Amino acid sequence: MTTMIEVKDLQKSYGGKRAVDGISFSVKKGEIFGILGPNGAGKTTTLEMLEALRQIDGGTAVIDGIDVAKNPYTIRGIIGVQPQSPAFQDKTKLIELIEMFAAAYGERVKAKPFLDSVQLGEKANSYVEQLSGGQKQRFSIAAALVHNPKVFFLDEPTTGLDPQARRNLWDLVREVRDRGITVVLTTHYMDEAEVLCDRVAIMDQGKIVALDSPHALIKQLLGRGFKKQQKVEQANLEDVFIDLTGKELHDEQ
Amino acid sequence: MNNKVAKTTWQRRLYTVFAFAKLNTRRYFRDRTAIFFTIAFPLIFLFIFGGLFGKNTSVNFKVAVINQSQSAFSKQFVADLGKNKVFKVSSDVTTLDQARDQMNHGSLDSAIVLPDNFGAVQQGVAYPSGQAVIYYSQNNAQAASTVTSLLQAVVGGINVKLVKTVTPFTVTSKETGVTGLTPFDYTFSGLVGFSILGLGIFGPVNTFPELKKQGVLRRFHTTPIRVWQFFLANVISQAIVGMLTMAAMLTVAITVFHLKMVGDYAEFAVFIILSIAMIFGIGLAVGGWAQNERQAAPLVNIVTFPMMFLSGTFFPRYLMPQWLQHITNYLPLTPVVDGIRLIATEGKHLIDLGPQLGLMALWIVVIYAVAFRVFRWE
Repeated sequence: MTTMIEVKDLQKSYGGKRAVDGISFSVKKGEIFGILGPNGAGKTTTLEMLEALRQIDGGTAVIDGIDVAKNPYTIRGIIGVQPQSPAFQDKTKLIELIEMFAAAYGERVKAKPFLDSVQLGEKANSYVEQLSGGQKQRFSIAAALVHNPKVFFLDEPTTGLDPQARRNLWDLVREVRDRGITVVLTTHYMDEAEVLCDRVAIMDQGKIVALDSPHALIKQLLGRGFKKQQKVEQANLEDVFIDLTGKELHDEQ
Repeated sequence: MNNKVAKTTWQRRLYTVFAFAKLNTRRYFRDRTAIFFTIAFPLIFLFIFGGLFGKNTSVNFKVAVINQSQSAFSKQFVADLGKNKVFKVSSDVTTLDQARDQMNHGSLDSAIVLPDNFGAVQQGVAYPSGQAVIYYSQNNAQAASTVTSLLQAVVGGINVKLVKTVTPFTVTSKETGVTGLTPFDYTFSGLVGFSILGLGIFGPVNTFPELKKQGVLRRFHTTPIRVWQFFLANVISQAIVGMLTMAAMLTVAITVFHLKMVGDYAEFAVFIILSIAMIFGIGLAVGGWAQNERQAAPLVNIVTFPMMFLSGTFFPRYLMPQWLQHITNYLPLTPVVDGIRLIATEGKHLIDLGPQLGLMALWIVVIYAVAFRVFRWE
């Protein structure tokens, strides 16, 4: 597998405090890569530097062979970005917003198929303020992929979503990956990282403290003699919840 | 890079601009509050101020009496006119040139000139005679004809007392050649300037910080769109909305307040677009810089208040002391207000507006240099 993203000794400081303290990692083409960590660990800052939104203080980041710091506009043209809280201007129809985002990349598209791909075809003529939280997340994904990017960045995509919407979003992310798009996401839900990510980097205080597949990381921990105190049930409360309320999306209208 | 590729790159970039401009404009017309403030609000102002300054509600006429005669009769005639309640004689005007100047400002209705032979006793007759001449401006023909007939009545009274068979004193009227502006002409150009100010500054200053707070602009920042594309798209949609406002104002001014639009509509439109582009740049600079409304509000007041009151929007600038006129000459809105008046009511062409256009070009460069420098996406 070829490398899509190559990060070397990446640094960012805010007023003397090192938010990102010399991290290095690489993301392979076509994988779902997770950046985990508690609040303030430097996940979002790392992502924003890769997205060419924030100045890189030190080190290098290369996406698809292109240096991020030197070619920010080229980079923005080959990546799709899903911000933490998707926001769109009001009084604009979904179909118009898709056209608008395509236009931002200098492209003219038929908006309907993009909306269909995230099950929002019926809402084509609705205003974005009429969407529920989950619908907005799905719409945001469609908007981020109008230009068929090579890498898709998602910043805490499932924060604030109900279990159905979360699962639906996971499916969408997998579909994006199946289209050959490399996915990089941040989260602080470990279950999400475990089911979704091929590999994860765990960050703490601006540094990467572990980097491997979730399975391998768990194995390493168990290998160090770790034992969970509680007995592991065969199901958890979320399984009960999904069993009772179903897997279908509950989109409020 | 060969030419073909470069061209398509630019075509794509301009497509971005026009697509954004189109959606911005469309979105604008879905916002009832915005429509009210940009179209209805200026019209309300026009009705209020047009009603206040535009109509001659008083029944007296402001005239200047220029007595070039030394006769005792003419002196008595002037004194009698001063007592006449219908005429408000302006005492500080002594020459026809001064009268022309004041008529041009609209502060004088007409000038009554008594020539040097007025009231003199001609050879072979026993009574004095003469002809008073009334000078008026193009826009004031109506007032002048009223003044003429009133003066004829006064003169007629004198004539009757003198002889019955001939009319020793006559009145005639002449146009001065100056266009002569009514107070409403100043009100109109001032209010158009005021609307452009409101449209161009208060709009972006409110919407940009709001869009930043929601993270909408940040989202655009993740795409390859350039600041100039974003600016240009906004200028275009603002110009479209502004043209509609101006069309509405012009329609009301012409139909309700009898504004005589003597200028060329195309040149007027071009001038308005340039004005909007310049003033909107100020809004872009402040709104683009401010991260929230609280940052924007004080700066907006500092920038707009001098223009709002000193650029000739509500008070004509000729009423100001000389030194203040010199300073306010250079405010960005001053050439806008002057230019609108010169085109709309004096029929001037863009070629005649060199000083105004030059100053505006200079301001556009300065304003946009600042706007690009301070713009923030979040």
